[in-house]
Amino acid sequence: MTGIVEDGKSMLRVLFHPFDGFYEVKFLGKRNFALATIIMLLCGLTGILSYQYTGFILNYFPLFEMNSIALFVTTLFPFLLFLLSNWSVTTLFDGNGTIGDIYIVLSYALLPKLAFDLAGIALSNVVTQEEAGLLQAFTAIGTVWFAFLLFCGLTVTHEYSALVNIVTLAASCASAVLILFLSMLYFTLIGKVVGFVYAVFLELSKRW
Amino acid sequence: MMKTLRAAGIAAVLCLIWPLASAHAATTFESNYTYDAWGNVKRSPPAFELVDTLDSRDMEPIKVGSFDDVFVSEDRIFVADATESRISVFDAQLRFAASIKLIRDGAGKIMVSEATGKQLMLTNPEGVFYSEASEELYIADTGAERIVVLDGMTYAFKRTIERPENMVGATLFKPSKLVVDKNGKISVVVQGSYEGIIEIQPDGSFSRYFGLNKPRVDLADFFWKSLASSQQKEKMKKLFAPSFNNISIDAEGLIYATTFDPSAQNKVFRFNSKGENILVQNGYFPVMGDLTRVTGQESQFVDIAVSDYGVYALLDKTMGRVFLYNFEGDIMNVFNSIGNLKGNVKEPTSIAWFGDRLILLDRQFGSASVFQPTEFGAAALEAEKQYFNGNWKAAGGAYLDTLERNANYDIAYTGVGRNLLMQDEFDEAMYYTKLGNSRGYYSQAFAEYRNLFIQHHFLWFVLVFVAFAVLLFYSEYRYNRKTG
Repeated sequence: MTGIVEDGKSMLRVLFHPFDGFYEVKFLGKRNFALATIIMLLCGLTGILSYQYTGFILNYFPLFEMNSIALFVTTLFPFLLFLLSNWSVTTLFDGNGTIGDIYIVLSYALLPKLAFDLAGIALSNVVTQEEAGLLQAFTAIGTVWFAFLLFCGLTVTHEYSALVNIVTLAASCASAVLILFLSMLYFTLIGKVVGFVYAVFLELSKRW
Repeated sequence: MMKTLRAAGIAAVLCLIWPLASAHAATTFESNYTYDAWGNVKRSPPAFELVDTLDSRDMEPIKVGSFDDVFVSEDRIFVADATESRISVFDAQLRFAASIKLIRDGAGKIMVSEATGKQLMLTNPEGVFYSEASEELYIADTGAERIVVLDGMTYAFKRTIERPENMVGATLFKPSKLVVDKNGKISVVVQGSYEGIIEIQPDGSFSRYFGLNKPRVDLADFFWKSLASSQQKEKMKKLFAPSFNNISIDAEGLIYATTFDPSAQNKVFRFNSKGENILVQNGYFPVMGDLTRVTGQESQFVDIAVSDYGVYALLDKTMGRVFLYNFEGDIMNVFNSIGNLKGNVKEPTSIAWFGDRLILLDRQFGSASVFQPTEFGAAALEAEKQYFNGNWKAAGGAYLDTLERNANYDIAYTGVGRNLLMQDEFDEAMYYTKLGNSRGYYSQAFAEYRNLFIQHHFLWFVLVFVAFAVLLFYSEYRYNRKTG
């Protein structure tokens, strides 16, 4: 129990001292997968909450066709895709981070975004249309903070210089597209195979 | 066991994620609907129902070729028949009154053209307009490339307007539809003209081309044109401005026009005197009729009918629909369709208001259908009338009336909410504007509501602020004492 409190403290330290913080998290063994997973799950939950509880003035979603599981998945999917693509690229670019390290960096970096998004959802219920721009600027802080932390964290955990990190980030974007393409190809083909087998089965079952 | 459980779990998740297949009313035989804020089709009672038809049986022994254009004046209905080269006149009770084919002078003698020695006769007229101000009947005599002006009472010849001497541009003078404003200025639509609407002065001289109809920009085209040399550009297909196909004028003298050219950006126009489109399009979607993603095909408007209170009806030829829009550009109702039922159309050509009723013309059937407002339609029109004329309170009541007849009618929710907002009933106004999906009015009501809330609970806000300040001071104080 004390372990988790200590790890939580180092997680909070990361927010304001990203380089030192991520160094400690990685090399002094202060990382905690349970905490990271909780943040990830909370992010998925925020996706659902923002769909349902964003104030009417800012909420253009069709609430009557809400599907919370689909929302949960679509919120987390980009992060997990990035995790996979970044890992697959950095293994080629001599990055020192394991997939676990990247996962920790990603989820710790998500903390400010999570906080600002939740605050944004709450505040969106008390603003008027004129103030909506301000609120959007406010939640953008969280996103910018997240991007900054992610960048620092990846530099530290892969032991990259900033320039190499930018290159690998660009490469992971490209590979994310590639992964999407391949997976779509794969699933269509599998679908065709399944369809074929099913057609053969149907044919046979009709004959005998 | 574990494995089957897991498989069942995955299957359950898949089932939940799978998008539900849904049927759209617009793609079925249902022809009475509106669109909600997300572009879903919502059922709606029709705003208009068929009461009467007008066809060759009402005009024995005169032959009917086709019905191409209709104009309703205060006491008469004029119908242009381009195939039979005839203008038929009906009175307000839809009884056949007169037919104009050969043009006669004041003494009742058939006019003879001085140049050719032939009788003066209409040749495939496609448009007709009656000017209340000057009591003159204007006929767009398309085949003869002229405008014929007759006396409004006796239908005796007054004058013809041929192609003006000073007319510039490549447009042929083949007037198809026309309107005349109170000062006698004539606006003429020529089918297929890319230069715009021709404006002619009362004395018959050319004034200008009028109306801006912007083509859609194709990004790929734009890219290649930016690379091409001027010689290459000359060889490329030229992009012409889309042409207008019909025209109408409202009580204020502003000109409405439609286009069904697929390359046009807008489909419906309301022109200011500079020829810019000032049509209000504050609805959920631009004024475009059916949504392409729902019906799979674009609406093509062949005519527009404008009422005195901002409500206009658009006649669509792809699905035979009539779209009713209010002044704000909200879609009020969609009704009618292509078909063989009574009142349906095959090849719709023209639409006009006839009091609160609508007259729909069909070329192929050679008939006109008269539609009258249903209970819902009458309430909806009444509400728009009151709102347009600034009778807020009456409008609020009429919108409530409308809601009782159609609970899917977002405009009425907004209308009721707007009325409540003006009476400072913010709580109720928020409820209704939210139902009407009107974020602008909701925001206004909410701002007032929030102000009142803060005023009523001001003490609590002060207390929280004071507590926060005390906490801040105390922590500073303690910190400074500790560190000295």
